[in-house]
Amino acid sequence: MKLKYFIGILFVLVILLSFIPKISGNLTDVKFYSTIDTTKIIPVKGVISEISNNLYKFIDKDGNEGRLYASNITNKEGIFYLKYNEYENYFTLKKFENNTFFITFPFIPGLEEKARIILFHVPVAWVSVLAFLISMFYGIRYLKSENYEFDVKSVNSASLGFLFCILATVTGSIWARFNWGSFWNWDPRETSIFILLLIYAAYFALRSAIEVEEKKAKLSAVYSIIAFVTVPFFIFILPRITSGLHPGSADDLSSPGGGPVIKSGMSFEMRIIFFLSLIAFTLLYFWIFTLKNRVTELERKKI
Amino acid sequence: MIKESFFILKKDYKSELRNRYSFNSLLLFVIITITILLFSLGLEDISLDIHAGLFWIIVFFAATNGLSRTFVSEEERGTTLVLKLISESGTIFLGKLLFNLCLMVLLSLFVFILYLFFMNGFLIKNYFLFFVTIIFGSIGLSSASTIIAAIISKASNKGTLYPILSFPILLPLLIILIGLTKSSMIGKSIINELNQFLLIISYSGILITVSFLLFDFIWKD
Repeated sequence: MKLKYFIGILFVLVILLSFIPKISGNLTDVKFYSTIDTTKIIPVKGVISEISNNLYKFIDKDGNEGRLYASNITNKEGIFYLKYNEYENYFTLKKFENNTFFITFPFIPGLEEKARIILFHVPVAWVSVLAFLISMFYGIRYLKSENYEFDVKSVNSASLGFLFCILATVTGSIWARFNWGSFWNWDPRETSIFILLLIYAAYFALRSAIEVEEKKAKLSAVYSIIAFVTVPFFIFILPRITSGLHPGSADDLSSPGGGPVIKSGMSFEMRIIFFLSLIAFTLLYFWIFTLKNRVTELERKKI
Repeated sequence: MIKESFFILKKDYKSELRNRYSFNSLLLFVIITITILLFSLGLEDISLDIHAGLFWIIVFFAATNGLSRTFVSEEERGTTLVLKLISESGTIFLGKLLFNLCLMVLLSLFVFILYLFFMNGFLIKNYFLFFVTIIFGSIGLSSASTIIAAIISKASNKGTLYPILSFPILLPLLIILIGLTKSSMIGKSIINELNQFLLIISYSGILITVSFLLFDFIWKD
């Protein structure tokens, strides 16, 4: 009972935190002409005021004045991290921080608001792999003990994993329409989640093809183990060694060597919300899992 | 144990010689598929990607017909009990795996010869890489097929279930194999492709180990 309320509170927190305002408006293609001359990335605290359409006046704390081309800046105060380009003699904006909120969402060029998907899409995918792992775990326990309960748990976990896998595919696909241009791009990770869906669909097809209860449990336990040992290849190996659109691919510049993006490319604030969301989704999975097990138990008693 | 599994291989080979069911049907299947391809393609020039893809599609579906029969035929002939009596389940699994491996190598070589004969655009520059690909591909495909053939021999609708169960597990292998075939057609050296072979070895190694351990549960039913 208490777990339920805890999960509810956690989800409300994650949803509220994931809507925290971004630190700036749409700061693409910024050009800044200034009297400041440096080749380093410099943090400048200053005030911006709009002169005319897309042209802003910039005054830093030393009184230096410059001009900045940008589109749609919503927050006029904050710390600008500027990088000077020697050859073309203008400043580009690297980063923009604003201290109006105690926790802020970073400005990520190219992704902007769409970066928020990582707070829901990734935990859902993580939960689906966790569910498949637990399905395999109960499959092994069934083979060892031939206890009917373990088979029920294995199936329930696999079906939950399948559900979360579909959720991850759908959320990712909708997001891909807006960021990559089409619903499906056959990116390595998309391919591997498609194969994962096929594998577990085959698992349910196998279950429905066998009539005898014991045989069904045994063969599907064997198949769930075989299916899960291939999962690391789909989730961790293939998408990391091939080049693709997802972060963490072989050609991803933000994480050379193709490691997980959480380690290298995520800001502190984002990481906190991400891990909160991860915990919330994991607890949600365990809650539904125990509920499902109780439902099947009661149904069996009624028969 | 390995010696005994060679006896199983020999037994399968002899019973295969007796009725020649799976080999003949495989050859006919391959010929029919290539004929359909030839008619549908006409004189069209197709790219290397499509050639590599078509080659492995033919091999995969022919293998579906042949490899799925390994345990089903034992069940149909009623020889399962005798096999259970004469040796351990691990030995039987290894023997069947070896038989499937031989069948796969022969099958892919046969497809290769026919393909070379009929398809004008199918030119291979690096034969060594191509044959290594065929051998590793056969190991990979037969590793996953054997245990799935054992699973479906206990299920009810065997014919349709086999491709459903095996396709998703074999798909990553097929993707790698198609890539390797393509690079052997371009003429890349084998050193550039070592990563892909490592992937195949680890994938089929894991599958063989797991199915060797699990075969006991399916077999002693």
